[in-house]
Amino acid sequence: MSARNAGRYDVIVVGAGHNGLTAACYLAKRGLKTLVVERNDWIGGAAVSRELYEGWTYSNCSYVCSLLRPEVVRDLDLPRHGLQVIPYESGATFTDDGGYFAYYSDHDALRREISRFSRRDADNYERYARAVMRQCRFIKPLLMRTAPDPASNRPRDLAELLYLGRRFHDLGEREMGETIRFWTMSIGEFLDEYFETEVIKAHFAGSGIIGTGLGVYSPGTAYVLLHHYMGEVDGTIGAWGFTRGGMGGVTQAMASALTEAGGEIRAGSGVAEILAKNGKTTGVVLENGDLLEAPTVISNMDVRRTFLNHVDQKELPDDFTKAVKRFKIRGSSAKLNIALDGFPSFPAAPAGAPFLKGDLHASQSLEELERAYDDWKAGRWSAEPYFDMLIPTCIDPTMAPPGKHMMTVFVQYAPYALASGEPWDGPARDALAETVIAKIARHSPDFRDLILHKEVRTPWDIEHEVGLTEGNIFQGELTFDQMFFNRPVPGYADYRSPIKGLYLCGSSSHPGGGVMAAPGANAAREVLRDLGFKSAATSAERAA
Amino acid sequence: MTRYDAIVIGAGHNGLAAAGLLARGGRTVLVVEKNDVLGGAAAGYEIAPGFRAPRFAHLLHAWHPQVERQLDLAAHGLAFARRDLATLSLADDGNHTIIERGEARLAAGNSLPDAAAFAALHRRLQRFAGVLAGKLLQVPPRLESPDWRDLAGLAKLGLDLRRLGAADAREFLRVLLSNAHDVVLDEIADGPLAGALALDAVMGGHSGPRSPGSALTLLYRLAQGGGRHLPKGGMAAFVGALAEAAQSRGAEIRRNAAVEAVLVENDRVIGIRLADGEAMKAPLVLSSLDAQTTLRLTGVEHFDAEAVRRIRHVRCKGVTAKVNLALSALPRFDGIGEDLLGGRLLLTPSVQALETAFDATKYGELPACPALEVLIPSLADPSLVDGSGHVMSIVVQYAPYHLKGGWNDAARSRLAATVLDLLERHAPGLRDLIVAQDVLTPLDIERETGASGGHWHHGELSVDQMLTLRPVNGLARYALPVGGLYLCGAAAHPGGDIIGAAGHNAARLAMKDWALLEERVA
Amino acid sequence: MTAGFLDRPILEPVAAATPMVPRGLVPSPFDARLRPLNLHQDWMPWAGHLSARRFDSVEAEYFAIRNQATLFDISPMHKYRVTGPDAERVMNRLMTRDVRKIAPGRVGYSLWCDEDGFVIDDGTLFRLGRDDFRLCCQEPQLGWLSDVAWGFDVTLREETEEIAGLSLQGPTSFAVLEAAGLGQLAALKPFGVAKVDDGLTVSRTGFTGDLGYELWVPAGRAIALWDRLWAAGHDFGLRPIGYAALDMARIEAGFVVCGVDFKSIHAAVRPTRGRTPFELDAARLVDFDKGHFNGRRALLQHAKEGPRYKLVALEVEGNKAPHAAFVYHRKKTEAGHITSTLWSPTCKRNIALAMLQAPYGVDITGDLWVEIYHDKEGKWERIMAKAWLTERPFFRHRRRSLTPPARL
Repeated sequence: MSARNAGRYDVIVVGAGHNGLTAACYLAKRGLKTLVVERNDWIGGAAVSRELYEGWTYSNCSYVCSLLRPEVVRDLDLPRHGLQVIPYESGATFTDDGGYFAYYSDHDALRREISRFSRRDADNYERYARAVMRQCRFIKPLLMRTAPDPASNRPRDLAELLYLGRRFHDLGEREMGETIRFWTMSIGEFLDEYFETEVIKAHFAGSGIIGTGLGVYSPGTAYVLLHHYMGEVDGTIGAWGFTRGGMGGVTQAMASALTEAGGEIRAGSGVAEILAKNGKTTGVVLENGDLLEAPTVISNMDVRRTFLNHVDQKELPDDFTKAVKRFKIRGSSAKLNIALDGFPSFPAAPAGAPFLKGDLHASQSLEELERAYDDWKAGRWSAEPYFDMLIPTCIDPTMAPPGKHMMTVFVQYAPYALASGEPWDGPARDALAETVIAKIARHSPDFRDLILHKEVRTPWDIEHEVGLTEGNIFQGELTFDQMFFNRPVPGYADYRSPIKGLYLCGSSSHPGGGVMAAPGANAAREVLRDLGFKSAATSAERAA
Repeated sequence: MTRYDAIVIGAGHNGLAAAGLLARGGRTVLVVEKNDVLGGAAAGYEIAPGFRAPRFAHLLHAWHPQVERQLDLAAHGLAFARRDLATLSLADDGNHTIIERGEARLAAGNSLPDAAAFAALHRRLQRFAGVLAGKLLQVPPRLESPDWRDLAGLAKLGLDLRRLGAADAREFLRVLLSNAHDVVLDEIADGPLAGALALDAVMGGHSGPRSPGSALTLLYRLAQGGGRHLPKGGMAAFVGALAEAAQSRGAEIRRNAAVEAVLVENDRVIGIRLADGEAMKAPLVLSSLDAQTTLRLTGVEHFDAEAVRRIRHVRCKGVTAKVNLALSALPRFDGIGEDLLGGRLLLTPSVQALETAFDATKYGELPACPALEVLIPSLADPSLVDGSGHVMSIVVQYAPYHLKGGWNDAARSRLAATVLDLLERHAPGLRDLIVAQDVLTPLDIERETGASGGHWHHGELSVDQMLTLRPVNGLARYALPVGGLYLCGAAAHPGGDIIGAAGHNAARLAMKDWALLEERVA
Repeated sequence: MTAGFLDRPILEPVAAATPMVPRGLVPSPFDARLRPLNLHQDWMPWAGHLSARRFDSVEAEYFAIRNQATLFDISPMHKYRVTGPDAERVMNRLMTRDVRKIAPGRVGYSLWCDEDGFVIDDGTLFRLGRDDFRLCCQEPQLGWLSDVAWGFDVTLREETEEIAGLSLQGPTSFAVLEAAGLGQLAALKPFGVAKVDDGLTVSRTGFTGDLGYELWVPAGRAIALWDRLWAAGHDFGLRPIGYAALDMARIEAGFVVCGVDFKSIHAAVRPTRGRTPFELDAARLVDFDKGHFNGRRALLQHAKEGPRYKLVALEVEGNKAPHAAFVYHRKKTEAGHITSTLWSPTCKRNIALAMLQAPYGVDITGDLWVEIYHDKEGKWERIMAKAWLTERPFFRHRRRSLTPPARL
């Protein structure tokens, strides 16, 4: 391939996802000539709003917002660039007996609702919420810090280890124990310790498995729950919200901030190769043949895609390549985006039920959830899938014409490769959709007739469109062997790589997935450090 | 009323070890055992006249050498019929794998593609396990206000970690909390060899190879070198040596003496009361029972509600059953010579199959293909059988305690049939050799040994129930909140398997407390 | 006139099988009577219930407590019934004080602690019979009680919604009872509880430091109780009061409120932010000699180590109550903060409860100051006011304990 020189930059970011854009913004704001290259014609990665059916906007990948670090929102002044997140207040799990369990953010209503099943559970909910809150408090400061290398003797790593040790120690002996327990328990067993009502456990357990290749009884899923609870909307820890205009609102605001700071975005051609010579990166070559030079390249792609597909293997130590190959990125989620002709009726829901404006589910027991996981392990999609279903048009009028609705259904579990060997881009995709639709229709009889258009996204589709390996939404399993200083690869948790000047800024890095933007901000901080920038200009840079 | 310095509840290996060490330290000791037979989960018995079999556990593979030395068990009759048993992992296609001293080869003699990768993996895991090995005989550290001993222990751990070198240290920290499925299959292909390693990770526990944390249990198993030994005269002889070691130093052992209550006065134990109403006094009581049973015997009212809540929630869903057979003759296994039959036979065709078997137990179902660990101890030790027959001892990994429909006769027969069908695939005609057979479900194990849930380890060995969290957060240092009361069994660190470390550690601690108490009295 | 736009029919939604639980605040069993009396419609939340902050004038309501008789709706209080052969053991396991010393027909104030000796809540324990207790408290406790009672032969029952409560307080409160036909309660001593009939239980308890009673009825009988007392109270100056006036009286009486003067350990995100009974100046409520109770071992340790904090009663110079104020030692070292305060219309001085950090309040008790910000006719001023330790209660009337009770 003959490359055509197409420019020289201080920094090139590969991939215009929320983390890539975040990293680029921080760097451009410090005066670096920054370019973001994007394979798709549109930007946003997995935080996009797309009109795939006329008049309807789909947040066709990520669909709700909570984890986005407020430090980043402030540093990049995203509200001024159009970002608005509106919290939703409730949710529900429908049961096959025609009932439901509703979650209300109104504390008194929630107590009464839980008491409908068990008064003891209502009390224990407070204890549960406190336990989770304590863990949120512990983890929050770690999100915007670079994880130390526990095997290193560098003063910086030792200082960070000391900081962690002290923070941990400050918890007190019992809380230290509770923290270890929380981080290593399964969400099922954690919930078993608090609740006696199955549907309540099932309702809360969903957050422990979303996006993972783990079941509700797999150790480590309590942490995954935390990963979904540690966000906030305007200081309300654990709250989730809709981004006005869809999740693309996040990345559009970032792009606007980037442009304002003098950064540049080139969409429409992906990176063919990240160039490296003598252990140093020199730039990238795009699929269209453009050669772009830069001494610093930051990859928003996951660690496997970056190093196994786009870097000359000769430039990488064998141990590193082996560790990258070993990094687990297991696709386990699918998604349905549906345009509806009207609001589907849910006979179980009383008139005016506020929870229809929130997250809806239909998994009634931990066993049902665990069996859904077993299907996935066996290479099938779940016969009784867990879904996280929302109708954002209840709150956000910009997503569909008046009176019409848009529904987003996140589905757990669907394997990346079917054991039957069938490809996803055939009848299997429709069969998966039918499984989900049939389950929704059990609770909403008119739902099927209201469907005007649907987009079905299997792990394979997500990989092909967004570039996430196996369609894993977190760019890598959130298990403890792949977290913190182990993420993505032990010894390389500081966003750097064996190639000088090449960095990772995606969710493959600490602190992992979700529309959090912490990896992007952290990576930018490390880049600035290497480039000799001293004073901290923003809160994210000050964080560590 | 009879008075002792210390009373040990339960004559399992940990109870007997604790009693032996207390007696060795000059204490007057009474061991009370509810059964007629000593040994608890390590007991032996006569399955049929002239056929002596291990009742539950059938191997020593983690028995702590230091405990053995301190009790001088050799002098009390402990000998081994065979040390370092080879493992033979059976393959449906007859391509069985032999694992011996960290090396694997095919039984047929042709080369095993993964041999080098396996050896490297085994060496690495063994090295990692070495870091943990030192922790077994230590009381879990206080994390908040550690004393010099705790700090020294933590510092040593840090040092051992660094001594591994940066690359290995990082790898250790990654593997530590990983799962057996990934750790094994990242290096070798799935099959009987991988299955064997994965079985070691989950044996006795309610966890599958894919469960995060299962890599740690594997390391734990390897921490004692991983060698498996057959005591001469069977498990009964091993228990006999332990009892003898204690008795020779003056310890008294009472059989058929079930404890009804641990007696407490002014927040201190004062003794125990037996089911028949007889009471014995002692300022130290060491319970080798699990935490829940100990709580029940002592009385909930002596524990804070939070401690009770934690103990109530100790996960102890037993999933391991036992089938013991008395055989009229040595069964013939296709393509396996007698020399190999004397080792450890595993039926664990793959990691995947193991996970599938585990899946069934999660829902209270009996798996179609449980994994089996089979031993014919009479091959190495003919003294176990009078005459020409053999005994076969089969550990069945995955048979749930909470079986749907309950453990009735039909369910027991189904379990036996499942096991025998699996075995007959390799040993056709096995059924015809059976003189007597025993099926011991987790429920039986609970009934006989007292272990809640019939759990081999007196509580799941998972990260959230290990070290400073064993048996529960806040009670990890053997001493229970009631003065003079200790846990000395598998419920305490380092947990299950026949290690003897819990008994050792608790006895040492109790003696130290005793010394302090005497000092105060003086 | 033809039907207009507004007359067009609106489609009624079909009712679902499971109606929604009420959202927001729910009315009390006395709502039908309280609502018309609440001239300001000034309500506040109390455990999910509508509770009056004031009806008419806080000042008038306050003086009614000290001068006449008042009714305050205490129905939202959490109420638990503990019955069965082990009821006494369970209550004794829960409480820091010796419950065995509370005889049937008596009420005891106590608090209870977690395993670290930190207070979970305080409340009044009504011993209705040998094996029959009712616990009234501020925070939900069913989950905790279940934990404490695990392994014991007791039945736990939440009665919060079933039982309505009305607090009748003030110098003429007995006169009101008598006029209502309950003169037989003259013999009821402070902290006594008597069952009048199946529908009514009366205790001589309260939160005001003065004569007063609490009346408990099944929720369905609430209105009947109200009407009877209301009619009887006409000649004795009876008036309904809201929390604002009651809070003034309770500070004067020196009572602490969970969530205001201290935080329940069960509500604390940071476990070390709990308070021991010693730190709440309630050592008299801890009985180490009664055998094991929850938190006993930790409390022994706390007793040995001494308090980290101390809840103290302060008097503050001037006439501006130090709301949300810091307490300083020698005007410069932070010593703690004010938790409750008011300018006491009865004591005619500023009184306050303050949480001081040891050694303040323990070893160092002099030279204390509070920082007060106030708007002086449009100009904000900062005052450093002298404060000194005093005794609780700030106010207690002899009437409170006289038996038979005074009528005026």
